[in-house]
Amino acid sequence: MIEVNDVVKKFGRKEVLKGISFTANKGEITCLIGINGVGKTTILNAIMKLTPINSGEILVDGKKVTKSTFEKITFIPDSTIMLPGFTINEAMDFMNDYYEVWNQERANEFLKFFRLNPEDKISTLSKGNTAKTNLLLGLSLDVDYVLMDEPFSGIDMFSREQIAEVFTTHLIEDRGVIITTHEINDIEHLIDKAVLLDEGEIYKEFNTEEIREEEGKSVVDVMREVYRG
Amino acid sequence: MNIQFNNRDPVYVQVVRYFKNQIAKGFLEPGQAIPSRRELANQLKINPNTAQRAYKEMEEEGLIKTEKNQPSRVTSDENVLQDLRDELIVQAVSEFVSSVKSINVSLDEALNLVKQKYEKGDSDD
Repeated sequence: MIEVNDVVKKFGRKEVLKGISFTANKGEITCLIGINGVGKTTILNAIMKLTPINSGEILVDGKKVTKSTFEKITFIPDSTIMLPGFTINEAMDFMNDYYEVWNQERANEFLKFFRLNPEDKISTLSKGNTAKTNLLLGLSLDVDYVLMDEPFSGIDMFSREQIAEVFTTHLIEDRGVIITTHEINDIEHLIDKAVLLDEGEIYKEFNTEEIREEEGKSVVDVMREVYRG
Repeated sequence: MNIQFNNRDPVYVQVVRYFKNQIAKGFLEPGQAIPSRRELANQLKINPNTAQRAYKEMEEEGLIKTEKNQPSRVTSDENVLQDLRDELIVQAVSEFVSSVKSINVSLDEALNLVKQKYEKGDSDD
């Protein structure tokens, strides 16, 4: 389980996370939802220790995040992470050099699943294929937790469908996933849990099947209540 | 296999409903093996946890049976199948009755229309 407890983050005087708490379970897909600029990416950066926090704590399986945690958790950002001159093959070699948990077999499955050509240079890829390559590189690590930042934004509908499909396969099964998005439509029926954020605070955290069962509401219905109500 | 999911009913309930219809229509036969949870999640493009939940529900209702190391199968229990058929008929009739009642159709009129339609073999299916 990933536990985020009362995390505060300031940029100068601006408080971007105002005491955020939520949990994400292994084997479940947790979705951080909110419009641009509410602090979604900052939360992921904080979990990965890419940005220091002012107070609060973040635990992965009950332990503070250290260097060894990064063999257990991976972050898939929404921009290119590899040197643009690399081919996909070279990027995979690079990952293999840096991570003990790199799984080439899984990477090959992803190449096939996404129909990517490993000889292609990363700088020449379309936006959709860049996102798919990022997913390939992140998800081919045998880690328990995956953080994904906006995997669907600015990508054509068929690529979005293909990426959403990954969530229904063994390529993701049994892992704990935290995904951020402001477009819930693509994955509304795929997520286990939704965390609604606004202006650095959590408005609501709920299990999606429960809210459908008990209140007959879709995730979008709840969002409408929270953001417009 | 293809389901158009709506976003307001629990997904697992919609999956169970789909299986019930398939069984009642005879597309899934008694004793027939059904996909594994993982295969189902993949085919229907749903969360594997949801597929798991749907199968658990169907097992509890006795619609499917799972033996160790075997694929799950549709039940061959006549009683369960009969109950399922009754459930679906009652459900369909109740929906029909409440929608014609809401526009003040008399029983005779409704029955007549049902008879005509039924004999003409009209169906949206």
